[in-house]
Amino acid sequence: MKPWKPSRIYVEHSEIDTPLVRRLQSRLPEIPLQPVDDLRSAEPDRFDDGKQMLVAQRHRGTFLQHCPAGTSGLVCCNYLVMNFGSNCPYDCSYCFLQEYLANNPALKVFTNAGDGLTEVDTVLRARPERTFRIGTGELADSLALDHLTDLSCELVPFFAERSNAILELKTKSNVIDNLLRLDPKDRVVVSWSVNSAVMMREEEPGSASLDERLAAAAEVQAAGYKIGFHFDPLVAHDGWEEAYRDTVTQIFRRLDTRRVAWVSLGSLRLTSQLKALIRQRPQVSRTALTELVVGDDGKERVWRGLRVKMYRRMLQWLRDVDSCLPLYICMEPASVWEKTFGMIPSDRQVAQRLVGAEA
Amino acid sequence: MSRAIPLNIKEFATQRHYRPATIERWLALAAADGQALLDLAAEMRLGENQLSDLWTWAEDVARRDGTSLADVLTSAAMTAARKRAISRNDRLTLVKQELRRLRYPHLCATEERLLELLHRLELPRDIRVALPASLEGDHLTFQFVVTDTKQLRRIADELKRVADSPACADIFALLEEAP
Repeated sequence: MKPWKPSRIYVEHSEIDTPLVRRLQSRLPEIPLQPVDDLRSAEPDRFDDGKQMLVAQRHRGTFLQHCPAGTSGLVCCNYLVMNFGSNCPYDCSYCFLQEYLANNPALKVFTNAGDGLTEVDTVLRARPERTFRIGTGELADSLALDHLTDLSCELVPFFAERSNAILELKTKSNVIDNLLRLDPKDRVVVSWSVNSAVMMREEEPGSASLDERLAAAAEVQAAGYKIGFHFDPLVAHDGWEEAYRDTVTQIFRRLDTRRVAWVSLGSLRLTSQLKALIRQRPQVSRTALTELVVGDDGKERVWRGLRVKMYRRMLQWLRDVDSCLPLYICMEPASVWEKTFGMIPSDRQVAQRLVGAEA
Repeated sequence: MSRAIPLNIKEFATQRHYRPATIERWLALAAADGQALLDLAAEMRLGENQLSDLWTWAEDVARRDGTSLADVLTSAAMTAARKRAISRNDRLTLVKQELRRLRYPHLCATEERLLELLHRLELPRDIRVALPASLEGDHLTFQFVVTDTKQLRRIADELKRVADSPACADIFALLEEAP
């Protein structure tokens, strides 16, 4: 995978003299920085155009938020997300950002990450009895731009010194050079979104191949990081059983299961608007062509019996590898947890089980 | 099928007050696909929303199977439904069912298997049973009305018989996990 490079860079005028912008300038000297006063003028009309550019700007809102998966009626793992930018250079057909960022699609990095860390520090100090799981891969890929921003060089040392938080860096890239030079002190999980081979090949343009992701995971694991995997979205395409089983086999042929912090499963879920956007993509996507039905929350998924079947098969294959792997499912009601795991954990129990995996 | 087909898409769609954007999209289709859609729309006297639903499903099937919209709309199953000598509304229902079966083959096969098992329960007419909508659940809803204890006892006996039947166990197993 070639490291991503923008075709143009816009910088908020007031942020020109920040360390991040100086770094961008030194790493990409061939791309002139374009200062802008009004950030709206940098927003492209088309979503795909937003992935070709980079906007460096100050973030003026809060950095730390509760994961939106904590929707009423669904079992929640009490995950917090921290946004140091928005949008992603990869072009996954099913990505919710196509809808979520439709009106502001420019790929952004925030110049004031330090403010975000101050915010996190305040929260961690206020609740020393609780262990937080905090991720940066919700509105952006955690590592895809790390070769340009060095953000991990701020995040990893910060979390390495905190006893009541675990940082998750979630990615589809193999950009790990910075990580290999840092000591996570067991407080950082690097996780990869993975899928069946056909999904990764055809539906995740620009991202690293499974081989590249696993090679990176093995290196990072050897460097002292715990590893995570997210089989999300699981898609009921033709041959899904064999295809997902093969991915499970490939992953654990190369990695030490004792250093795996968690594996999550999540079924494909689409709003009607996102489905319409997928249908408009130039390449035919198999994600919107699967047999989806509308659920109570208005999102389309494969019907419940098929979701349970997919989760049970995945669970079986993962437990065949190692019965102690910490597993959870994402954005599902208690009834689906019960059918999958044979029990309904409370939100707190799920969260505790996952942070317990760090010991 | 013997109904006269309008000469062109624009004429038909304008007569039926379709939105310009829909007409434009229709006209942009390959000639055979546009004509197949026109044949269906005219034959069934479809309003824009009715056509849109069928069009979306047919297009999804065509994309998934690597075939054309015309091929889907003139497939054997669709042609048989369109040729049935029944009222226009019943024919439209049948056409929708056939297209849904093409679009959601596994879901429809599961639904059909469940209906077959429900039939095997041989429920009396005064006990109604419903599957969860779109199979998004693992429950059955039974409905009955009683006006005295004798009726209630009879219903309870029937429900006990049903609960003990292998078909009932198969239904719950199928609702819990897809085949």
